[in-house]
This record gives sequence, C-alpha cells and structure tokens, in this order.
Amino acid sequence: MANINISCIAIIGKQNNPLFIKNFNASHADLKYHYIAHTSCDVMEERAVMKTQDMYLGVLFSMEDLSVYGYMTNTKIKFITVLTVPDVIIKDLDMKNVFRRIHAAYVNHASNPFYEIDSQKMIKSKKFDQEIEAIGRGRPLEGGNRNSITTSSA
Amino acid sequence: MAANQVPSKQVNESIVEFLTTEMVEAMIRTIKDDALKIGSERDPSFGNTTDGAGGPKDHSEGDEAMEAVYYKLEMIGFRVGERLIEKISKDRMRFTDNLDVVKFICKEVWMFLFKKQIDNLKTNHRGVYVLQDNNFRWFARMAHDQAPVESVKRVTPYLWFPCGILRGILSNLGIPSVVVAETSSLPACTFQIKIAKTT
Repeated sequence: MANINISCIAIIGKQNNPLFIKNFNASHADLKYHYIAHTSCDVMEERAVMKTQDMYLGVLFSMEDLSVYGYMTNTKIKFITVLTVPDVIIKDLDMKNVFRRIHAAYVNHASNPFYEIDSQKMIKSKKFDQEIEAIGRGRPLEGGNRNSITTSSA
Repeated sequence: MAANQVPSKQVNESIVEFLTTEMVEAMIRTIKDDALKIGSERDPSFGNTTDGAGGPKDHSEGDEAMEAVYYKLEMIGFRVGERLIEKISKDRMRFTDNLDVVKFICKEVWMFLFKKQIDNLKTNHRGVYVLQDNNFRWFARMAHDQAPVESVKRVTPYLWFPCGILRGILSNLGIPSVVVAETSSLPACTFQIKIAKTT
C-alpha cells in the first residue's frame, strides 16, 4: 500500500454519468481528472467486453506522469484510480485491494436508503467522502469500515 | 480469498419472517382502509374474483386496492433488490450473459434469501425463464383449510415482494425484465422472468 500514490479517485455511473470525483494531488487541476475519467469510459467498456471476467481491468492508459486504472462492477459502476507514476513497480494485487476498498465503500453507500441508486446525482455523503479520503491517502479508516476487507493479508 | 473473508452476520430468522408477512398484511390493511375512507362504492375486499392465481391482473381484476398493494409491494422489493445485488455481487466475477445471471439468481441469490436453491429452472432460450421452488421458504408457516382456490388468492400478495426483488436485481444488472409469480399448491411456487429482447 505504502508506495501507491493516488492522485484521484473517480466513480462513474451506469449511464456514464459522473457520480464522484476526488482529487488528492494539488499538482493537477480537477478539470484534468474529469477529462481523464471521461476518456477512460470507452476504454473500460472495450476492456470489459473482451478481457477477463475479473472486475479489475488493469491499467487503462498512461498519460504524461499519470497512469489510469479501471474497475467495473457487475452493476456497471466504474471506478477509476489515477496514480502518479512512482519509481517502483505497482503490483496488481495492491491495486485490486484499493479497488476492493472503494467497492466496499460504494456498497455501503448504496445500502443507504436515502441514496437513490438510479438518480444519477453526484454522491454527496460525508461518510462516503471520509472512506474515499482514507483510501486515497492510503490509511486505514478510523473506527473500521462496516464491511471492510482487511488489506494487510491477501 | 479465505483469509480476508469477513465473518458472516447472523440474524434471527423468525423476526425476518414476521416482518415480511406483516409488511404484506399492513400494506393490504392500510390501502384498504384508505379505499374505504375515500368511500369508493366498490367492495374492496380482495379475493372475490373468479379465477385463481397469476399476476396481479388475473388476481385482482377490477380491484384497484389490490392493484395499489401490488404496486407498492413490488416497488419495495425492487428497491431492496437493487441494493441487495450491489452487496452480493461484490466478490463475484462479471456475468457473461443473461443465462449466467439467472443461474446466479437460482443459486446464490436464492441461497442468500431463502437458504436453498431453486429446484428447477426452465427456459425457452428466448428470454423466458421459469424458476420453480417446491418449498418456498416464506410459505413454510402458511397453511389453509380453505379451498385451494381461496388459499391461492390469500397467498399471492406474499409473492409480490420477492417478484420485485428479482426485478430490482435484474434491473441493476442492466437487464430490464418483467417478473410474475404464481402458486398452485401451497409450499411450492413458480417465478416467471421475462427478459425484454435486447438488440
């Protein structure tokens, strides 16, 4: 976990509508990540059709100093993580872990009866925000995630 | 995989059964009360139509109150199903086709909801799937000494909630569908899923 430097986490809905985007790296403007997230939609759909049945889609593309990773759930929700390319090699296993944590956070959020799954509105939830924040900063969530997956052993 | 499995949560089964049955009862009661209050001249007591089981259409022909009950229960189920599938499809591989999804419903979803699998699955390979459960769990406590036709009418509303769950699950997986359930003899019931043809 330690060597992963997450710049941005974005969530795209079923109809390719943005659900959530968070920037962890001040070196790029938010707009750039919006752009990246939308560019990756097509790549992800292509990947999902031809590639394995795994929800993790691997590196979608690289762009300047950023590399973009994708993950698509069974319900066609897309998670995108943008990393600042580090010096060391990033293991798929680590990335899978990051995505699984995002997925767990999303499932928790979707279980909230006040959240309309089909509403296509941006996610506005303090708790969800905190969980993503914790994932993005690479630290475990205080108090524990209700459905958390232990990231230490896998 | 096994290393990071969270311990499964446990829940009192009786409570869940009472809740689901009472939900149906409460829905019928409140909607009928409303119908009476409005003062509709039609007798809103349900189960006075001629033919037996089937979708809401056959069952409550001309009975608007039951139509409303159907709509509400189905909608509750839909919302539950939508959320439920997010949870249970989390650690699963992606589905390849519709049959794969229906198989998943027969096995894992049924296991999750009713602690058993569907007993029989039939399909015409053109988007119609018939799921037969010979011992539907939510009917386990139900017994009637009335005529079979009468008991079928009493029991049909209890199938609307699971119908909605199935539709919600399919909808959230991107498969629009129509789900109808019917029962002929008590512990058994069948669900029919019609998946709209995709281009």
